[in-house]
Amino acid sequence: MNLKSLKNLSFAIFFLYFFLVSIKLLEKGIKTLGAEYTDQLFESVSNPFAGLLVGILCTVLVQSSSVTTATIVGLVGSGVLSLEYAIPMVMGANIGTTVTNTLVSFGHVRREQEFKRAFAASTMHDFFNLIVVILLFPLDLYTGFITKLAEDGTEFILATGFTATKPNSPIKAGIKWGSNNILDGLSSIPYVNNLSENSYRVYAVLLIVVAIGFIFLSLRNVVSNMKSLMLNQIEFGLDKALAKGGGLFAILIGILITFSVQSSSITTSILVPIVGSGILSIENAFPITLGANIGTTITAVLASFAVDDPAGLTIALHHVFFNLMGVAIIYPFKAIRNIPVNLAKSLSNITAKRRYIAILYVLITFLLLPLLGVVLFN
Amino acid sequence: MGKESLDNIDAKLSEMLTNSMHIYDVSMNCLLGDTNLDTVRDDLYATDKAINELHREVRREMIVHSAVNSRNLDIPLLLSYMTMSKDIERIGDYCKNLFEIAETGNTFTKGENLDSYIELRNDIGKLIVYLQSCLNLEDETKIHDLITLGSSMSTDLDDKITALLENKETIEYPVSTTLFYRYLKRIVSHIVNASTALIMPTDQIDYLDE
Repeated sequence: MNLKSLKNLSFAIFFLYFFLVSIKLLEKGIKTLGAEYTDQLFESVSNPFAGLLVGILCTVLVQSSSVTTATIVGLVGSGVLSLEYAIPMVMGANIGTTVTNTLVSFGHVRREQEFKRAFAASTMHDFFNLIVVILLFPLDLYTGFITKLAEDGTEFILATGFTATKPNSPIKAGIKWGSNNILDGLSSIPYVNNLSENSYRVYAVLLIVVAIGFIFLSLRNVVSNMKSLMLNQIEFGLDKALAKGGGLFAILIGILITFSVQSSSITTSILVPIVGSGILSIENAFPITLGANIGTTITAVLASFAVDDPAGLTIALHHVFFNLMGVAIIYPFKAIRNIPVNLAKSLSNITAKRRYIAILYVLITFLLLPLLGVVLFN
Repeated sequence: MGKESLDNIDAKLSEMLTNSMHIYDVSMNCLLGDTNLDTVRDDLYATDKAINELHREVRREMIVHSAVNSRNLDIPLLLSYMTMSKDIERIGDYCKNLFEIAETGNTFTKGENLDSYIELRNDIGKLIVYLQSCLNLEDETKIHDLITLGSSMSTDLDDKITALLENKETIEYPVSTTLFYRYLKRIVSHIVNASTALIMPTDQIDYLDE
């Protein structure tokens, strides 16, 4: 390992720790705010559809599903957001994250055929997530089967005595130490100290804003350092995926790349120019995208190590099972697998001719509809 | 930036040159030696296909490299890879054309020029190997030497073609010989062009004379 790689690895580990500390800070901030206020705050997502749309909106705004899901884990782990409210929001984050690669596809807008392929490569992820939400969201809402599975998974992991889940684990102690130091540091600022003593709600809001900012900053740095560290492996993996075509191997490559860089957007955005250039078919890029959908769930699982309440782990596992099931339902059968791919191709055929429709699609799907829905459902 | 992946492209270019050398040897032996064409035909065409596939692999790897390293892209380097791979692929094509002269039955195994043909074969063969050794860019003066040597060889071949076109020489197969020199000249030119891609500014690649 050379010096640059060592630097990247050290920074990635540091920011991963900082990310977990930020989740803890968020938990602290929310607890400081008090149940009365947090109940009011989350009343807007008491309607599951509103929760779903809030998840989409938040992810579109921060351009990262990991930030949204990690924040949700923090909220659930601090006990202020119930699983029932959190689940639709995580599903929404799954949809919202697909906007990033759709925006990347606009880089190919000058050449019709290239744009057609690139736009299809990006929107197949949108359609896949939409279809999975349409199928599993109502099913889970009424039967709660994924939630039950996640709860059983949590119980199982807790029963195994996995260190990270124990309240007195060294990981949790380390995270607590870091967050306490930041809190002490903040309290040393006279204005903040004054706030914490006299106006605890403003102090809590400040903590929440700082924590979310830190989550964003730390994840961004984890992603950029891991990407720098893993560049050769990513290229190697994609070259192998190109050579082998699609299939389970491509899903595995998608999982590994996303797992290593902690961002599905990185994986899916890399695919867009590769498909756009025509060297990878949309059909063969699809399993890599599905792998990215699975790989991205690890961030929420990591975030759950920072929170005290096992419900944090349950929502993270719900995210894992939900995304795994989506792949298990859509991928095995060619006829079903082709649905999102063909929908994306049909849309890209239209947008390649009338490119303003692509812009309208993004604005309507990722901003207007969710906004309108949030207003309507409240 | 992903240096290992670029090393991989270098390795593929080198493999293309190894294949080019092989196809060149086979073709020249068919023209200047007593090789039975039927025994080498399949191998020759398969090698040409392998060169083409390597060329496509280089392009694919460049796209993947660009997609993965979009923020730290060495665009001039990738452009030089693009032009080099194309030049090396063309070497294979012209070697195949040499074999096609042999297929017409017009071989140069007899005649007073055979020794000069063999000398030419050896010199150009050395040039291909020389280019391969320059790929790692360790010694720029080597590349300059290669360009000088190749350019001079190219001028000599041009003179031979002109002499034939002006009927200054009386030889057994004038058309085949003209094509023979012409293909060899193209091979040398592509070697020189590939060499310029290694060291010259992007806009100057292929334009050595200007």
